Amino acid sequence: MTNQELKIPEKREALDETTRAGRTYVPQVDIYETREGLWLWADMPGVDESSLNVHLDNGVLTIEGQVDLKDYQDVTPLYTEYYVGNYVRRFTLSNDVDSDRIVARMQNGVLSLEIPKAERAKPRRIAITQ
Amino acid sequence: MTRFRMSSSFDPVSGLLALQRELERVFDKPFGIDLGPSGRGVFPPVNVFADKDGYVMKLETPGVPPGDVHIEAEGRTLTVSGKREVAPPPGGSFHRRERGSGQFSRSFQLPADLDLSRADAAYKYGVLTIRVPKKEEAKPRQISVKAS
Repeated sequence: MTNQELKIPEKREALDETTRAGRTYVPQVDIYETREGLWLWADMPGVDESSLNVHLDNGVLTIEGQVDLKDYQDVTPLYTEYYVGNYVRRFTLSNDVDSDRIVARMQNGVLSLEIPKAERAKPRRIAITQ
Repeated sequence: MTRFRMSSSFDPVSGLLALQRELERVFDKPFGIDLGPSGRGVFPPVNVFADKDGYVMKLETPGVPPGDVHIEAEGRTLTVSGKREVAPPPGGSFHRRERGSGQFSRSFQLPADLDLSRADAAYKYGVLTIRVPKKEEAKPRQISVKAS
């Protein structure tokens, strides 16, 4: 796995209608499940913690991030391979998550979310009585 | 060539729009820079800008800690390599897997008027910024006119 050449797809534009000018892109995500909960990682390069917005409303998890444009002062693009824009993506979660204990972290342009399962949703062993 | 300009009293919303228009205008059209057999899909993607001092290269490398990036300059060639690891906790399974992992290496052949020995790099929010200044003799300078 470590020797494969890393490829990256072109950024996909978010098709939601927004009230803001400018284009918004869909971050690439990994979603992973363990017994304890769900993990979500989203690539959002250019977004810092303070311009990140994660919220859960009626079972819909929204992740949004604004890119930092401070570095783009007085520059002329010569060659471009990727677009720069804000990010948004939404997921519908089941009711079996413990929404009060979701933990979000932002590191090196990657958002990681730890979404614990509600106690009742965890797998459990059922004892068989004779 | 138009220049993307932002002042301190700048509106970030129209700023983003202006930047996006500018990026689109030059999308995938190399300008005096040889990126090798590159093109789309190669990691990490790069945007190259010019500023008053030289070139500014911005590479999107989310999830790559700065310690895992190696930048090497040799002659006119700049090579950026490293690896990106996706390491989930044990005992689970993926529902979606869109983020790639593995090793990467990209080389850029830069114009001869740039001074790679004075290049510097910074990493912020998953974006690697490499600044390569122009050689002193390549910088524009004022030529004064003497009265005869």
